[in-house]
Amino acid sequence: MSDNNLNEAQKRVGVYVCHCGGNISDVVDIKKIVDEISKYHSVVVARDYVFMCSSNGQSLIEDDIKNMGINRIVVAACMPSLHELTFRNAIQRAGLNPYLYEHINIREQVSWVHKDNPQGATSKAILLIKAGVEKVLMQDPLNAIRVNAEHRVLIIGGGISGMRAAVSSADNGIEVVIVEKEKKLGGKLNRDGYVYPSDEKAVDIVNKFSKKILSNPLIKVYTESEIINIGGYVGNFDIKIKKTDGDIDNIKAGSIIVATGFDHYMPYDGEYGYKKSDYVLRLKEFIELLSKSDGLEFVFKGKKINSIGFIHCVGSRQNEGIDAPQADGKVNEYCSRVCCTSGIYTMNKLKEKFPDVNVYDVYADIRTYGMESESLYEIASKHDVIFFRRPLDERPQITFEGDKIKITTTDILSFNERLEMEVDMLVLLTGMKPSEIDDISGYLKLSKSTNRFLQEVHPKLRPVEMNINGVFAAGTSLSPMDITESLQSAQTAAMKSAILLSNPDIPLDPFVAVVDEERCTGCGRCVEECLYSGAVTITEKTIDGNIKKVAYVNPAMCKGCGACVAVCSERAIDLNGSRLSQFEAMIDAIVKE
Amino acid sequence: MQQNNKSKILIIATNHSSYPGANAVGQAHISYPSNTYIIRVPDPVMFPEDFYINSFKKGISGIIIMSSGSDCPYEGAYKRLSKRIENVYIKMKELNISTERLRLTTICTVCREAFIKEISDMERIVSK
Repeated sequence: MSDNNLNEAQKRVGVYVCHCGGNISDVVDIKKIVDEISKYHSVVVARDYVFMCSSNGQSLIEDDIKNMGINRIVVAACMPSLHELTFRNAIQRAGLNPYLYEHINIREQVSWVHKDNPQGATSKAILLIKAGVEKVLMQDPLNAIRVNAEHRVLIIGGGISGMRAAVSSADNGIEVVIVEKEKKLGGKLNRDGYVYPSDEKAVDIVNKFSKKILSNPLIKVYTESEIINIGGYVGNFDIKIKKTDGDIDNIKAGSIIVATGFDHYMPYDGEYGYKKSDYVLRLKEFIELLSKSDGLEFVFKGKKINSIGFIHCVGSRQNEGIDAPQADGKVNEYCSRVCCTSGIYTMNKLKEKFPDVNVYDVYADIRTYGMESESLYEIASKHDVIFFRRPLDERPQITFEGDKIKITTTDILSFNERLEMEVDMLVLLTGMKPSEIDDISGYLKLSKSTNRFLQEVHPKLRPVEMNINGVFAAGTSLSPMDITESLQSAQTAAMKSAILLSNPDIPLDPFVAVVDEERCTGCGRCVEECLYSGAVTITEKTIDGNIKKVAYVNPAMCKGCGACVAVCSERAIDLNGSRLSQFEAMIDAIVKE
Repeated sequence: MQQNNKSKILIIATNHSSYPGANAVGQAHISYPSNTYIIRVPDPVMFPEDFYINSFKKGISGIIIMSSGSDCPYEGAYKRLSKRIENVYIKMKELNISTERLRLTTICTVCREAFIKEISDMERIVSK
């Protein structure tokens, strides 16, 4: 029997409640939920499982559809953007229309925000699930709309991540457009110095990728250009690019990879003596200085440098009340992850070049993670770099005495002794901060983490995927990471984009307006209200032998906003998947108890 | 945050903006009262004026419409929504329903503080 023809008694709902490890079940009483929901009308079965998204969890749903005739599904779990597709696929595998399903978020919107009130959280979860049952009971089976996809990926940013993503995408036969704001590709690798762990020159890496990109006919590069608007949707993004000459190019792309990188943290004037003395440098500045310095002695601005102090975590792992807040009023609580390794790698380079320079390293914690990077710390110890460990909530004090820089710090390694050391130069291991991409994230409505970097849907389950379908992120736009990790994430983003664009068309959710022609009077209010010219029109149709004026929705043009729904006094036009009556039924369930 | 256990606050959140914003609050593990019920919609512009009035009549104490504002992917929708809500306010006054109980606001995907403030403000209003 077609699902459209089922009467209320034939609708059999299965409800599946996820523990999410303990993320949900540590706060809400899952047993109580299942007991109560089992008794709710139309619910034939209610089950719980430790991870409903796992193969075993999905099998519970599939088996119930096949063996118990379940024909409506409610899953109460994490946020829908994470696993809505997972469960739709499971439902489809079992032979049921994948849209006969409602997802209730009891993790981000219940257990994680009501930890202090388990009873309230449980009651809320029960009501939300009941509301979900009411909604799914009124749900019709739907078929995805398939749209032609542009076989072109837009890559925003031409740094190491953007270049890697471009080469990988082109290797998969996908056309690529790179938009870079600077004069040439390479981003922050366009500098002097070497990079760990391969000991290659940074510019050599840039040149290697640039050659591949500029000689590949599938890749088009816009330099000194900026994106001034992005519209459209997965498969059909519309992008406006403003070029150096002021001209605007309009391009279309099926997917987008955001590889906008990071900004270096810039110490404020006076932070650890920065800008108070020419001999207080950021790591980036020191690397450039070191690469240009040769000879038997290390001399800078006429002064022989005999000793250098390095200070870790400048602009990273900050504490409220101790460190000055950033522009948004918050401190950078995150670890920038690469400064320790980069700093110690540079200390080793310094000692190889100028072995007589004394090096003092003041840190809170050291993270030279990775098999090869860990050895950098051992090498530094062999080079007689002297390490001092400060408490996390204390900052070294910097004062100037003559041409010397005095560092005063507590050293945990010598049982909290207060130590003073005089150096000729101070290097600040400044971290990363998110680059200013409010324009791009605004056009695409991208989510950001509390640390202001772009936020993946899930770092383990759906890495590099953004909250907007067809948009991926790579490299340090996501979080601080080193070049190796950036390359890996760029490769992942390119592969996911290639998989998306591997078919000639892409399935889109069929959530567009739909007309009940029997109810429709052809008054035309919906046409007046529609925000998209041509999406709704009035047409003549023969219904029951009579010619009648009715509204017609062009599903390819309708964006599914629902503006038409609000003005139809006959309730003849509605939104597939989000019918007005479904929301009314949800509210009825919420207020019932 | 003080919570009124009897009153129920309905939050209408948009797929594109405020629903992910509510998730961002969850991901940051920021607490708010549990008498808040979020429904996920394409855009609140779909609701007729009577939808709000009927929700109050059914027993909803406060409604926060968390729209996407000027960031709305449906160009022109916010303007229509604002006009609709103006009309709802007129009807609320006629029916002697405090207009404070309906709030039209904009919440973005990362507007955690604004999200919490809106709930806190509505909580105060429905607790009166």
